[in-house]
Amino acid sequence: MGLPAAIIFAGFYFVPFIANLRYSLTRWDRITEPEFVGFRNFINLLTNDDLFYKVLGNNLRFTFLVVLFQTLFSLIFAIFLVKNSRTNIALRTLFFFPTILSSVSVGMIWLFMYDPNFGAINLFFTRLGLEGFALNWLGSESSALYAITFTQVWFHTGQMMVIYIAGLQQIPQELYEAAEMDGASRWQQFRNVTWPMSIPTTIVVMAYTTIQSFRAFDLIFAMTQGGPNNSSNIFAVLIYQTVFSELRIGYAATQSIFFIIVLVFVTILQRKFLNSRYEK
Amino acid sequence: MKQKMNAKAFKALIAMAFAISASVVPLSQSFAAGESLGKSCTTEGLMTGTKSTSLVCVKGGNGKLTWQRVKLASGTGRPVANLTPPKGEIEFWHYRVELADQRALVKIISDFEAKYPGTKIKQVVRDTTTYNNTARVAILANPKAALFATSRGAIFDQFAKSDMMLDLSDQRYVKQNVVAKGLTAGQYEGKQLGIPYQYLFNNPIVNTDIWAKEKWTTPKNLTGWVNWCKDAKAKGYVPLAWPGATRGQAAQISNSALMNSAGSYEELAKNLADLNSGKIDLTSKWFEGVADIYVKLRNAGCFPDNATGVTEAAAYNLFATGKSPILPIGTFAMGSIVGLNPNLNGKMELLSMVLTDGKVVAEGIMNNTYTLSVNKNSALRDQKIANAFLSYLLTGKVAEIYANETLQHVNVLDVEYKNVNLLNTVSFQAKNTMLAPRFLLLTAAVSDLTQDALIQIVGGKSPADVLPDFSRQIKQKLAG
Repeated sequence: MGLPAAIIFAGFYFVPFIANLRYSLTRWDRITEPEFVGFRNFINLLTNDDLFYKVLGNNLRFTFLVVLFQTLFSLIFAIFLVKNSRTNIALRTLFFFPTILSSVSVGMIWLFMYDPNFGAINLFFTRLGLEGFALNWLGSESSALYAITFTQVWFHTGQMMVIYIAGLQQIPQELYEAAEMDGASRWQQFRNVTWPMSIPTTIVVMAYTTIQSFRAFDLIFAMTQGGPNNSSNIFAVLIYQTVFSELRIGYAATQSIFFIIVLVFVTILQRKFLNSRYEK
Repeated sequence: MKQKMNAKAFKALIAMAFAISASVVPLSQSFAAGESLGKSCTTEGLMTGTKSTSLVCVKGGNGKLTWQRVKLASGTGRPVANLTPPKGEIEFWHYRVELADQRALVKIISDFEAKYPGTKIKQVVRDTTTYNNTARVAILANPKAALFATSRGAIFDQFAKSDMMLDLSDQRYVKQNVVAKGLTAGQYEGKQLGIPYQYLFNNPIVNTDIWAKEKWTTPKNLTGWVNWCKDAKAKGYVPLAWPGATRGQAAQISNSALMNSAGSYEELAKNLADLNSGKIDLTSKWFEGVADIYVKLRNAGCFPDNATGVTEAAAYNLFATGKSPILPIGTFAMGSIVGLNPNLNGKMELLSMVLTDGKVVAEGIMNNTYTLSVNKNSALRDQKIANAFLSYLLTGKVAEIYANETLQHVNVLDVEYKNVNLLNTVSFQAKNTMLAPRFLLLTAAVSDLTQDALIQIVGGKSPADVLPDFSRQIKQKLAG
């Protein structure tokens, strides 16, 4: 019974994982024969690679902001749109709409929106007389990552909202009725009923969003390719560049091992945090 | 208005005369401009075109300049007809996704298939980035991909090292149909592993209407360009529509900055090879000089506001809408510009961008790319089909379809350029041009970081901060 699953797991996960470990100990350009270099790639990565630390910082910042705002906005939208009225259904469709677009299309749309000279965003600020807000969004090291973060949140909030709505609709109505009879305000109802009851959904949303933000390769690649000066680069893009552009397969294998370690570490932290809330 | 029309008519006449002199009139007859075999001429090196019947002005043993038959091909004899393919189907992998290229290639392929029933060529087209990153591995695993393209520099080098290209050195069509000077970019370790199809000029394109209206003349040196930028900016233009957010196109102007940065091409090639291998870094005196050109241009207001955020599309827009008189990219952008603004058809020319106040090594840049190769791992029959189709592409009449549709000059003999933009720019073939030097940086990470450093300088940073920082990054990449 478990054999097919074991074969699939071995073929698609375990074997590639072992192969990746092997490559990480080599210097290989996919053209000449791999050269065994021991732990040199690991040592280089940790001691002589500023870009690795820069990308690590970017990735953690990007993930933190995306998880925070995407979870927050999707919860807020879900609370307001939880009832199945016609208007709410129409609005849910509208908010969900970006999710059905491809990441590259979304990237291209926002590339035009953020254009410093022709883009709608700067045009909007300029028309309002707020020239100070008309930035070089994707061309500046200080704003590129945040501009992409905003796009990522816009792109996926609708999807997470739907998950939240499904979760919120499972909360027994009696709990709200009882709270109302006890004279609980809207805020108190949220704090004492909605939030605790929606923590399981939040765990799902946050785990999904975390993985999504680590995998935001296509959006970033379409918008900035990690630039300017790697200010919007994340692990997924960096590994791609190391493999396909620089042809440093062994080094990319090492980067991907650290990528997995970071992802596992973040996920464990997140689960610990949310589980402690859930158990309370 | 009438004057303008007359000027236009005169220009068209000149262009026509050039085209005719270069391609139609037999050698034995006198040319409209007086060029005929054995007659005296005035400008050494000037060519009447790239046909097997074209003439070149050369100095004889007596020191006199006379028109002589130009020897453009590496072999002797007239261009040959294409090879006959066997029946079967192959894939043709390349990266020209542009509509004009597709129109041309679809027509060429359907003509070929109609001429040889039972032979099929299936195009597999990816955008440049995807192609450069994935095609080599995909083609290695796919022997049906019997014909494929590579771009000059690091990508051609990677494919060549993978031992996947058939040696075409002995093919007659290579020796007799192709401009010999343009074959260099397809050579590797003495073998002709690819035939560069396009003959491009990576020089700035100018909007001739604006240029004439403002009565500008081409600046002769760096100081001239700095002054021109100030003047253009004062008149409300974005002097150079430079796409700082699209590295590949932002890098085109670096060819102009590099071409006169060293005393000779050999010296420049050595500097770039040393940079590529890590022998020198971006803080070398030579590269500081290159960076200083960018600083001077930046300080003169040559680049757009928020230059590092200007995408290729936005730069095209600036030029096509007349907000910018110069697009510092190359002839290959002309097709897209005409697509955006058909009124610019015939109103674009190339400019020499000499960015030095010292010795001029070259006046402009040329590049041979879109290098076509036959897959060494394909079945013999598929190789024959690919070889036959390649020879078909390299016949004058067929290359003409591609050239005139895509607005690209080609590396093929006996091509008659009909498009006014190509006629307006073909004279650059007679200039002292340099094979685009930026592609001598064969390590992708070094090339990318070098361009990124220059982009950062345009963005407002000081070379004193940027060059050591990027030198460290390059060093780390080379160490890894």
